[in-house]
Amino acid sequence: MNSHFKSALFSQDASFYNEIKADSLAEKETRLNIYRNNVFVSLIEALSDIFPVTHSIVGDDFFRAMARTYIVEHPPSSPILREYGQSFADFIRGFEAANSLPFLADLAALERNLLTLTHEREQDTLTREEVATVFAKVEDPSTLYINLPSSTQLFASPFAIGSLYHAHQSDGKLRLDEVDIYESEYLLICKSFLYAQLHVIRFSEACFLKNLLQHKSLEEAIPDEADFDLGNMLAKLIEWQLISRISNQPPAIYQQEK
Amino acid sequence: MSCLANKAEDALSASSGFLTSTGISLKPVYYQTILTDFPEIGFFEIHAENYLSKGGPAPYFLAKIREHYPITVHGVGLSIGSESPLDVEHLERVATLVETFQPEMFSEHLAWSSHYSHYLNDLLPVPYDQTTLDRVCQHIDQIQERLQRPMLLENPSAYFEFARSEMSEVEFLSAITKRTGCGLLLDVNNVEVSCFNRRGDPYEYLNAFPMDAVGQIHLAGHTMDANQNLPLKIDSHDDTVCQDVWALYQHTLRLAGDIPTLIERDGKLPTINELMKEAQFADELRQAVIQERHHELTL
Repeated sequence: MNSHFKSALFSQDASFYNEIKADSLAEKETRLNIYRNNVFVSLIEALSDIFPVTHSIVGDDFFRAMARTYIVEHPPSSPILREYGQSFADFIRGFEAANSLPFLADLAALERNLLTLTHEREQDTLTREEVATVFAKVEDPSTLYINLPSSTQLFASPFAIGSLYHAHQSDGKLRLDEVDIYESEYLLICKSFLYAQLHVIRFSEACFLKNLLQHKSLEEAIPDEADFDLGNMLAKLIEWQLISRISNQPPAIYQQEK
Repeated sequence: MSCLANKAEDALSASSGFLTSTGISLKPVYYQTILTDFPEIGFFEIHAENYLSKGGPAPYFLAKIREHYPITVHGVGLSIGSESPLDVEHLERVATLVETFQPEMFSEHLAWSSHYSHYLNDLLPVPYDQTTLDRVCQHIDQIQERLQRPMLLENPSAYFEFARSEMSEVEFLSAITKRTGCGLLLDVNNVEVSCFNRRGDPYEYLNAFPMDAVGQIHLAGHTMDANQNLPLKIDSHDDTVCQDVWALYQHTLRLAGDIPTLIERDGKLPTINELMKEAQFADELRQAVIQERHHELTL
């Protein structure tokens, strides 16, 4: 019965109507339509909650139509709805009607990624005072190893999706007309405390952070780029509360690997 | 010693909040107000599926709020009515949540929402026949065994009846409580919605309902469906409790006596004060019934 019911929800299949007690075929259809509508409306809303910027960019009608097609092809597999839409970005990439927005799939992947990270377990990071204490004790900071939370991710995007995302936030820090979507961007996606954060960073900063993630010492991590400013970069890491450990040794696991 | 005594007092006063004072649905927009103003609310109810993350704001704020208030956990995803087996991994996550936050009650629905690996995000109806009864009871046994506590099963809101049903909804629910020992969550709004949609009398439904098994009541708002062919009420949870449902609630209290109650709201969320007003109104009706009963006893 469940599988029969399910296919009637996703199609106009009339054979399930035999199961419904009613006086006429029209009544059976009206009653079943409530469930058909509930399933699609609630799942479209769920996708809209997960991909709010994507929704805002394509508009309500387009988003609902696109989401509807996605739901039929990829219904959720988990009762935890915030996990839904793992394949939505790939679906958008192949969705012909969205071809004129070549950045849309990357933007959706970014939104999905941020939400996933928000719901991951928090990792302890050092406070501003703790970082200051360590730096005050050492003579040569360049020998130090700075660790970032293991969930930290770096991306190079051919489109300015980070700025596009920021311009859709209500903090008013960036206006949409200031974004040139066809400019490439380097993105830092990270989490400290409860929420995932997204930062648009320079190429040199991305190189430096990539080196830190590979457990290089500060000295080894500094990129050979004229615009790199170590003081400014460390100030940002402290402000974003992204330093999980400072030591004169790389992490123990990494040492063993060596 | 004194520390232990304090803890015991806290636990007692916390659970008496659930028993005597009406609760409301917990939503993220209310977190800050709750933790700043500590409003007088009997308890908060969460949807289990919204609190199963390893991190992020949901478990963090829930832990803070739980320090000050009793909670109830309401599952929407176990799919007790499914023909497919229960999702054991999901049951495990829900059980961990229940163990962590120690709710006053755990409740779920008489409905199905998953078929094997597909989740449909709606509470879909089941036929009231022997095969379904056996399966639902087996699923409830499995849940109660894992949770190590009795659960409450909620009466559904339904938009059609199955031609193959062999018994009434009330007979079906009564049989489940007898066989599994589970309690019932009586959603009075669902009674109004389902009885209206199947052209039945909600008062007759309540008169036949096994009130002894009811451990909690839900009150919510509903809306009319927009179709032009057939008047149908939709269990939308996005409006205030309507007059018809308040009247049914009062009738329920007269039949059953005082029962822990929740104002359930999931959409078009108002300020927390608006929900508190509805909770206070429920408390007034509960007090009135307690006094009526007391008066009857003393006469």
